[in-house]
Amino acid sequence: MINRKLAKVLAFRYTLLAVILILLAGGLVLLPKYEKHEGINSEELLSNAISPERYISTDELADKIVSQDPSFLLIDIRDEKAFKNNSLPGAINIPLKKLLDEDSTTYLDQDEFDVILFSNTNFQADQAWILCSRLGYKNHRVLKGGLNEWFNTIINPPKPTENMPASAFELYSFRKAASMYFGVAYPEAIKKQPVVKKVIPKKVIPVKKKKKKMPEGGC
Amino acid sequence: MKELEKTKRISIASVLTILVVIIALLSYKRPKHNYTVNTRDALEKITDSDYFLSLNEIDNPDYVLIDVRNQYEYEKGHLENAINIYASEILNDDNSDVFKDLKEQNKTVLLYGEKPDEVLAPYMLLYQLGYDNIKILGIEINYDQNTLITKNVVVEKSAPDINAFIKESIKKAAAKPKPIRIKKIPKKVIPVKKKKKVMPEGGC
Repeated sequence: MINRKLAKVLAFRYTLLAVILILLAGGLVLLPKYEKHEGINSEELLSNAISPERYISTDELADKIVSQDPSFLLIDIRDEKAFKNNSLPGAINIPLKKLLDEDSTTYLDQDEFDVILFSNTNFQADQAWILCSRLGYKNHRVLKGGLNEWFNTIINPPKPTENMPASAFELYSFRKAASMYFGVAYPEAIKKQPVVKKVIPKKVIPVKKKKKKMPEGGC
Repeated sequence: MKELEKTKRISIASVLTILVVIIALLSYKRPKHNYTVNTRDALEKITDSDYFLSLNEIDNPDYVLIDVRNQYEYEKGHLENAINIYASEILNDDNSDVFKDLKEQNKTVLLYGEKPDEVLAPYMLLYQLGYDNIKILGIEINYDQNTLITKNVVVEKSAPDINAFIKESIKKAAAKPKPIRIKKIPKKVIPVKKKKKVMPEGGC
């Protein structure tokens, strides 16, 4: 004995089922959006941030610049005033505040070039790197020690004392050559111009010899 | 008979779909740690606000010190009342609980390590996960014969002026050595007594 009402409902059972399934599908689509959850997950970010792989030493960078390696971009993340004052050759300025602007993403979010971030020390460059790493940019590196280290090792390299191994001396000559490439002049490097001596013709002065006159007379 | 076939197919299909949906919902794992701050806000925080403290400001019952170095370094010497949580372990379950508790108790967490650089990664991570009660203690740690020496350090000191140095060096190299004036030493006149030759007297 089927209830009449139930029978009526059951007549629409297929449409009912279809409606239920569509609702469920809609529910799946509208799962809570983690819009703040942008980027890679936090465990990965932590392990990236702690690993020292991102650092590039000043010697390596000097080598790249001198050998005109075309595959990298230098990005200075200090503010514009500091950038105008001095910076590395060929560097682009993206102040830290503008790191996430649209214009900056053309430099940061690309696969062609390696991006090397630097600042005065590596603190701010690390901050920029961590944010870029969260957004998934892969080919970024940080100059270890920043411009301070650049100055202390490349522009003004410390002379090795006599008790250091030969490799220290090689490193010093490499650094000295790099510093010359970047404009530092050393006094010994200047060639001394040969001094042209004027040859003064010897003047011949005839000297009259005075004859000694013997005293006349007796002694 | 056709009706029955249709029913069978539809019911099987619908049951399967519902099963799939249920399984998907159950197996969807929420990531353990969710960011609560997006990158723009994080960037604003690190560029605008002041999150550094120095040594003389740590004497406050609301401050909790956390040492992010590894256990060996911690045992060598650490600041008073500092807890040790190694930087790479801050996302472990126990440590996450510690941070949650501290946030609930409204205490400010001060992170320190051997150098501020070491602390930066855990700081940024924790901030992005929502722990905004965190600051960095800007110190450097050294050991002198097993005693801890801490000193305040300023981060991002401006670089030495490279261009000025280069110009200086060019100037130095181009400078000709100045001729040193030789002082004329006045000739000392020593009077020499001339001995008179005494002619022998007498004949020649």
